[in-house]
Amino acid sequence: MSAAWLLLPLYLLPLVSHSEVLLTILIFTYILGILAIGFNIVFGYAGQLTMFHGAAFGIGGYATFLMLSKFGISFWLAMLPMFAVILLLSMMVGWVCFKFRLREFYFAVVTLAFAELIRLVVLNWNDVTNGTLGLLVLDKPTIWWPGRGVVKIDGTVPWYLLTLTALCAVTIVSQLIVRSWIGRNFAAIRLNEELAQTLGINTFRYKMLAFTLSNLFAALAGALFGFYSNYIEPAQLSITQSLDAIAMVLLGGMGSILGPVVGAFLLTGLPHVIEFSAELRAATYGAILILVILLMPRGVVGLFLRWRHVS
Amino acid sequence: MTQVILGQVLNGIIVGTLYGIIALGVTLTFGITGIVNFALGQFMMIGAYAAWHLTDVAHLPYPLSVALAVLIAGLAGFLSDRALFQFTRNNLVNGLLVSIGLISVIESAALLLYTATPKNMDFVLSGSWTLGAITISRMKVVTFAVLLAVIALTWLALANTWLGRATRAYAQNPEAAMLMGVKTEMLQVGVSVYSCALAGIGGALYAGIYSLEPSMGALFILKGVEAAILAGVGNLAGALVGGIILGITESIGALFLPTAFRDAYGLVFLVAILLFRPSGLFGGQK
Repeated sequence: MSAAWLLLPLYLLPLVSHSEVLLTILIFTYILGILAIGFNIVFGYAGQLTMFHGAAFGIGGYATFLMLSKFGISFWLAMLPMFAVILLLSMMVGWVCFKFRLREFYFAVVTLAFAELIRLVVLNWNDVTNGTLGLLVLDKPTIWWPGRGVVKIDGTVPWYLLTLTALCAVTIVSQLIVRSWIGRNFAAIRLNEELAQTLGINTFRYKMLAFTLSNLFAALAGALFGFYSNYIEPAQLSITQSLDAIAMVLLGGMGSILGPVVGAFLLTGLPHVIEFSAELRAATYGAILILVILLMPRGVVGLFLRWRHVS
Repeated sequence: MTQVILGQVLNGIIVGTLYGIIALGVTLTFGITGIVNFALGQFMMIGAYAAWHLTDVAHLPYPLSVALAVLIAGLAGFLSDRALFQFTRNNLVNGLLVSIGLISVIESAALLLYTATPKNMDFVLSGSWTLGAITISRMKVVTFAVLLAVIALTWLALANTWLGRATRAYAQNPEAAMLMGVKTEMLQVGVSVYSCALAGIGGALYAGIYSLEPSMGALFILKGVEAAILAGVGNLAGALVGGIILGITESIGALFLPTAFRDAYGLVFLVAILLFRPSGLFGGQK
């Protein structure tokens, strides 16, 4: 449980710091951290290079909001049919990819193709999704608070606590999975799929599980993102969204549960620390990505762990 | 209606050869260095902007600008290989991510240098030919012919020269090729640079027909990869055919089905091919 304990002190931060900027950066870090943790499970642990998590992230936002506004149900209730949609889509895409034994590059290309198809549908289904203009989200999640009844979660500090709680929950769930026999089967598939199969591991089932889990986490992150930023647009399910999450995981380090969160913090926070024009920001982002891959193959967390090991 | 369809097929073929030249680069790089260089689209953009700059700003004759643009794209390819891709040989995932980083860097550089405003080159070759009821601009025909010649020459060189045979041998069995005296490092650098130069010539010719913007590369690399997979990765003549098939699929699809989903038709086709013929349309056993 060590990783989740590391997050606990962060609950005290709003008492110490009242900086809106810091808390906002951390809210986005937690949300995108959930997306990155999901990608880390399917890629870092099970070794499948998916490009579908960006689409799942976007659908998470769209589906939750559409269920909420069409049926008049609460945010929490609307997440259930949304998760069902994601589950169904992941099963379909996963079934196609894994049944036909697509690997590495081919798996990446086919998941990318499905993600693009979904983005095109969202972009052109104007009656429901409002096309390129996107949707304005005016609702907020609610919570029952002792003594005050049902209140809306609005403002920076409540959102900080909500997203941190979601991140903790995701961390605990992924840690339980990764440390169990499921995680060991993931590792076996990553290291040598033929051997894993020979040893009696149902590789189809475990790859499917990793893929679905990653998409469910991505969808949770997408729903939180849409409701926090009050806005949902087709760009949220673009390739760039997928690539950003991949960059976070690599920057933070693939081998650990919280590495992706560190990566998310660095990539969300850095543009705020250094005042750059948009063009230079993209260039810095690219340069960081290149340098990390070539110089720090195990990410920031990997570097830290090695340094601690040596000293 | 027949004329419209025929016109669309012709357009599809011409755009398809542009996809094909990128697909050729993708296939060659993958066969020899073991990675997919997703930044090839950006090298195409470099070629396109170089040709535009040399013709419209420096007022050089267009054919000379094209030649220089190819050199510039090749040089950029050489630099990227020495600085980055020599460290990601045969590492597909790292190569993918490094090329994605490179895309951001090159695109931002282009945005800073030339801004996001689309650039239109003055007509280098105006007018069009009419064939029955179909009109097609001369520049498009010339582009098609040049690209076809480049692809055909590449294919001939691979089939008939020592270097070409060495390249194919290396793609088939690296160890055996090395034992036969093929210099691995030089071959890998050479193929890397050649792929970028191919993308450069595609871009330089593209500049003569369409308007340019820094983000143009993303579309072409996706189509190039699609075309390469359609044909079966490693299949050189197939890359061209794959590109043309993709181009025709899109233009005919856009004619009968909603235009908004233009990019989707190729993707659906691609997924179907990958599932039912994993080694591509023209691939044999893998």
